[in-house]
Amino acid sequence: MGMTAVEKTLALKSGLQSVKPGDVVYPEPDFIMIHDGVVMGAKRELDALGITQLAAPDKVIMVTDHDVIYGSARAAERGAFNRDAAKQWGVKNFFDVGRGGHGHVFPMENGMLLPGMFYFDNDRHSTNAGAIGAFGFRMGTEISRVLATGTNWVMVPKTVRIRIKGNLKAGVHARDVGFRIATLLDRGVLEADLDYRVLEYAGDLNQFDLAARTALCSSPTEMRAYGVFLPPSPAIVAEAKSKSKEAFTPIYPDADAHYEANLELDVSDLEPQIALPGGVQHAVDLREVEGKKIDHVFLGSCGSSMYEDLVAAAAILKGRRVASHVRMFIAPGSEQSTRRMASDGMLQIFIEAGAVMLPAGCGPCNDAVVGPVHSGEISISTAANNNAGRFGAKDAQLYLGSPATVAASAVAGSIADPRGMLLRPRPPWRLSKL
Amino acid sequence: MDTNFEWRLEGRCYKLGHDVPHAGGVVPSSIIAGRYFDPKDIIPHLFEESDPGFSARCKPGDIIVSGRNFGMGPKMNGYIAMQALGLGLVCESMPFLAYRAAVGCGLRVMTDCVNVTELCDTGDQLEVDFRNGFFVNHTRKIQREYPPIADSLLELIALGGNTGWLKQWWQAQQAASDAQ
Repeated sequence: MGMTAVEKTLALKSGLQSVKPGDVVYPEPDFIMIHDGVVMGAKRELDALGITQLAAPDKVIMVTDHDVIYGSARAAERGAFNRDAAKQWGVKNFFDVGRGGHGHVFPMENGMLLPGMFYFDNDRHSTNAGAIGAFGFRMGTEISRVLATGTNWVMVPKTVRIRIKGNLKAGVHARDVGFRIATLLDRGVLEADLDYRVLEYAGDLNQFDLAARTALCSSPTEMRAYGVFLPPSPAIVAEAKSKSKEAFTPIYPDADAHYEANLELDVSDLEPQIALPGGVQHAVDLREVEGKKIDHVFLGSCGSSMYEDLVAAAAILKGRRVASHVRMFIAPGSEQSTRRMASDGMLQIFIEAGAVMLPAGCGPCNDAVVGPVHSGEISISTAANNNAGRFGAKDAQLYLGSPATVAASAVAGSIADPRGMLLRPRPPWRLSKL
Repeated sequence: MDTNFEWRLEGRCYKLGHDVPHAGGVVPSSIIAGRYFDPKDIIPHLFEESDPGFSARCKPGDIIVSGRNFGMGPKMNGYIAMQALGLGLVCESMPFLAYRAAVGCGLRVMTDCVNVTELCDTGDQLEVDFRNGFFVNHTRKIQREYPPIADSLLELIALGGNTGWLKQWWQAQQAASDAQ
C-alpha cells in the first residue's frame, strides 16, 4: 500500500519505512517555530522546571507577527521579554519587530521553508506550509516540549483528497475556492470530516502560484484540517530552488495511497464568493450580498498577504480612492513584500488610495491588537476567519472575500464585485502594465 | 512509568449531551479569556453554566460521559480542573485537538466510545478502565469494551501531562549527566 504525502513525510522524518493513520511517531523537525504571543508562556514553563537550554536552538525560528507595533505597555513588556528569551536561549533566527513578517508567509518567500520539509509550530495556521509542499504541525502550548526535547508525539492523521477540475474565471481567486470548499463540506455536499485530517489537493493545480496555494490552505484550516498539501508544481520547485541555499527533495503522494475520502470540485463556473458573518463555511455568491454598506476593510492575514495578493488589490485601487466612510488597513505578509512595494510603486498606489499601511504581520486578525471593529460595524476582509469577535466587537458583522473583492468593496463603500473594476482582464497582473 | 497509577476509576456518572463546547459548556468563556491555568482558580467554575455546584458535588473517581464532539476548541482549562479533581472523561467523540489537550493535561480520557450515552444516565454507578477500555455500568448491569488510551500515551498521562512529563524527563537528563 502506498502512502499519502503526510504519511511519506512523517515516515521519512521519523526514520521509519512506512506509517499509517493512527500510528504515534516522534518526527525530527527541520525547524521549530514559535511566535511572539507564546514565547513568554513557554519560557516561564521551562524556566520553572529548570530547563534553560533548548534541544536545538539553531532550529528555532522566533517570529514577531501577532503584536508588531506594541499598542500597549504590556505589549512592549512582552517584546522586551521575547528579546531577552532569544538571547538566553541562543536563538539566532529571531525575527524581531520589523524583521521577517508573518511567520506563515515569509519563510516560504525567503527560502527557509522548502518542499518536503516538516516543522513544529505553536500556531495552527502552520498549515500554510502545504502551499509549498511541506508540513507544519500545530503544538499549541506543547511547543515547550518540542523546544526542550526537539520533538513531540504526533498521531499520523488520515488524508482526504480533493481533485480540482477546470480553471478559475478572471476575477475569481483561490480564496473563493476555499470558501466554496468549506461551505460544501458544511452542507454535506462534499462528504468528509476535516477534523485532524490532511486535505491533499490534486487535479488542475498548475494555475495556482504560491500565493494562490497559500490561499487554498486557509479555509480548510478553519474547518479543522491539521494539514493541507498541494503537490509542488515544477514552477513552485524552481522558485524554491532559486531562493534556497540548501538542497531539498520534494515529496509527492504515492499513486496507490489510501484516502479516507476522495472529493471533486469543478471550479470553472465558480463566482466570487463572500463568507457571511459567523464562519468561512457560510459562503454565498457575491451578488447575493452586493451593495451591502461597509465601514471597515482589512487586506492581509496568513491566507491573503503575499505579494500577488497585494497586486490583486493594487490593480483595483490604482487611480481610485477608498470610500470616504470606510477605513482600510493593509498588512503585507512580509517585510520583503513591503520593500518590494516601496520600490515598484505599489505602496504609492495604496497610500494615494487612502489605505492605512500596517507593518508586516497578522494585522487586526490577531485579537484586534490593531485596527479593530466597533460594535455594530460591518467589515469585509481577507482575515483567516470571520468568527464573531475575531477582530473586535462581538456584534460587528464580519464578511470575508478575496483580495480583489475587498479592494473593490473599499472603493465602492459597499460589498462590490471586483470584475467591474479590473483594469486588465486576467491575471497575472504586472504592476508596470497596470 | 509510575506503576501505581490508577487506570481504573469507579464512581458516579455525570452525563452530558452532544456538542458541548469548551468555552461556555465546560468552563465559562471568562476562564479561557483570563488565561487561568491553576486548578484552584478553575475548579469552582467547572460546568458552572450547565450544572451549578458541580465541583462541590463531584468526587474523585466520578466519570463524565459525553456525546459527540465534546470540548470543541483546543483549550486546556477544563481538563486541568477535571484532572485535579480526579475525574475521568468518556466521550462518543472529541475533535482530535481537544483530545490532545485532555491528554496533555494528564486526564484519564477515552474517545470514540460509540453510543456510550445510551448506556448510562447521571447518577449511575460506573467503572471504567482507561488502560484496557472496559466500561461497566453497575446500575444497569451493562458491560462494553471501547478503544483504550493508546499505549504510547500512557506514560504522558500517568506523569500528569506535559509539565509532569517534562519534569521527569529533565530529572532523568540531569541524573544521566551527573552519572558521567
